Amino acid sequence: MIALLASEFRRFRSRRLVKGLLLLELLGIVVAGVIVYFTQEYELSAFPNALKGASLVLLSVGWMLGASAIGAEWHSGHLTTILTWEPRRWRVIAAKIAASLAGVFVLSIVVQVFLGVALAIDAAGTGSTAGVDGSWLSESAAVGLRVALLSTIFAGFGFALAAAGRNTAVALGVGFGYLVIVENLVRGLRPEWAPWLLSDNAAAYLIGSSADFPLFGRTPGEAGLYLVGWAVVLLLGASGVFRARDVT
Amino acid sequence: METVIELESLRKEYRRLRGLKTVAVDGLDLAVPQGGVFGFLGPNGAGKTTTIRCLLGLVRPSAGRCRLLGHEPAALQRVIGRVGSIVESPTMFPRFTGRRNLELLARIDGIGRSRVREVLEEVGLADRGDDLVKNYSLGMKQRLGIAGALLKDPELLILDEPANGLDPAGIVEVRELMRRLGREGRTVFVSSHILSEVQQSADRVAILAKGRTVATGPVHEVLTSGRAAGMIVRLEDLAAGMRALADAGIAATSEDGAIRVGLPPADASRVTRTLADRGLYLTELRPDEADLETVFLELTSDPSSEAR
Repeated sequence: MIALLASEFRRFRSRRLVKGLLLLELLGIVVAGVIVYFTQEYELSAFPNALKGASLVLLSVGWMLGASAIGAEWHSGHLTTILTWEPRRWRVIAAKIAASLAGVFVLSIVVQVFLGVALAIDAAGTGSTAGVDGSWLSESAAVGLRVALLSTIFAGFGFALAAAGRNTAVALGVGFGYLVIVENLVRGLRPEWAPWLLSDNAAAYLIGSSADFPLFGRTPGEAGLYLVGWAVVLLLGASGVFRARDVT
Repeated sequence: METVIELESLRKEYRRLRGLKTVAVDGLDLAVPQGGVFGFLGPNGAGKTTTIRCLLGLVRPSAGRCRLLGHEPAALQRVIGRVGSIVESPTMFPRFTGRRNLELLARIDGIGRSRVREVLEEVGLADRGDDLVKNYSLGMKQRLGIAGALLKDPELLILDEPANGLDPAGIVEVRELMRRLGREGRTVFVSSHILSEVQQSADRVAILAKGRTVATGPVHEVLTSGRAAGMIVRLEDLAAGMRALADAGIAATSEDGAIRVGLPPADASRVTRTLADRGLYLTELRPDEADLETVFLELTSDPSSEAR
């Protein structure tokens, strides 16, 4: 299992999409850093808010990477090759889930650290580092961790949908359809169902307070657990389908 | 002789939309003995790849049994380390080098880099191992796939259409490789619809049509199956030859500028003596065997073909 995990980690790390998206994110941070440097007097104390703002990108990237980690393998036929080396399917799917979720988590941390460095340079150069103390550091770390965990959970959603649909595009399509169409319809027609929507729970967990969600009735921690629960259910379901279906 | 692949009444149906079913394999029986090259022949859609997928646990049979090295697919993990395979076309990462692709596979089984080097040499890719796979020719990709299958130093190799898309030189390379592997004592189970290819490299064959075995056995037996034993004789004076054979009580017919003698090849000396006694000397004497292509077409075009 360790050898299989190591191989999957290596595959994930070597994937073009992973490298491309990481590069794009880092490039975006550099561009944003330069713009901020020349147009604002950035206060580093506001860094946790910057992390929250960047979360949408990281969540989307997480979903995409999770989906393509299995969708691309279905599409290319690599799964067939891997199963001729390790026929125990639960091991294969478990290794793929572990590698892609851990990969997304690490990637999310790396991007946030890079964002922090870029904004710290801005603040030291033309802005202010006032208020940067121990409590700021712990708050930043807590937000960064929540963003990374959310990215990982969303990678799990993407992985499960792509595994069941045998295609990356299925996961992206279903994700887009759910978040843009279904959730907005529910908010408009059945606002009392909002506590069950993924994005509302994600927002509550990320912000760390449910004060803005009066209908919610659950703490941010419970919102996080709700999301984890969904991810686990979807991943278990997708693993079950993967074990049972023919690989053609 | 130990049997490495056993299929008993194997059946596989695929469900289609609206409850329709497609029968890919229909009660297939097969036994592949250990050692040598075994050709698994059939036209496109005959069920060759589905059979291989059943053997490797990639699809679940609808009925029947299959065993690989004595184990059913449910216990495949016990023997998978002794089996190397390519199913359809080998899948590799085009933007990685050949060596790196193999190293990724090798890592799954804890196989070291020295073995990767060995198999690259074995398939003649040692000099190109560090090139990107996207720059490989089709033949090189196929050889890389075979190298991947050899990584485990398997006793059984399952190759699905390994000569697909190869140019003549590539076909010869793969054929030589299969022969060599067979001579080394491994069992090479190779599916193909390129009949001349299999005829030249396989020791035994099975011919598949519409999901069923229609002929199986050593190549020369399959080539003569369903035909009366005979020999083809050529000589200068066909008419005199026909008379001499008729006088000796040997059944013979004149066909395409030659004589077909109705005796088995074991009786060749009787034919040569009869003709020589009359001062008639042969320019050719050979067993009357159809080539595999003819047998294949005869067997697979007849819908009422039954397993022999």
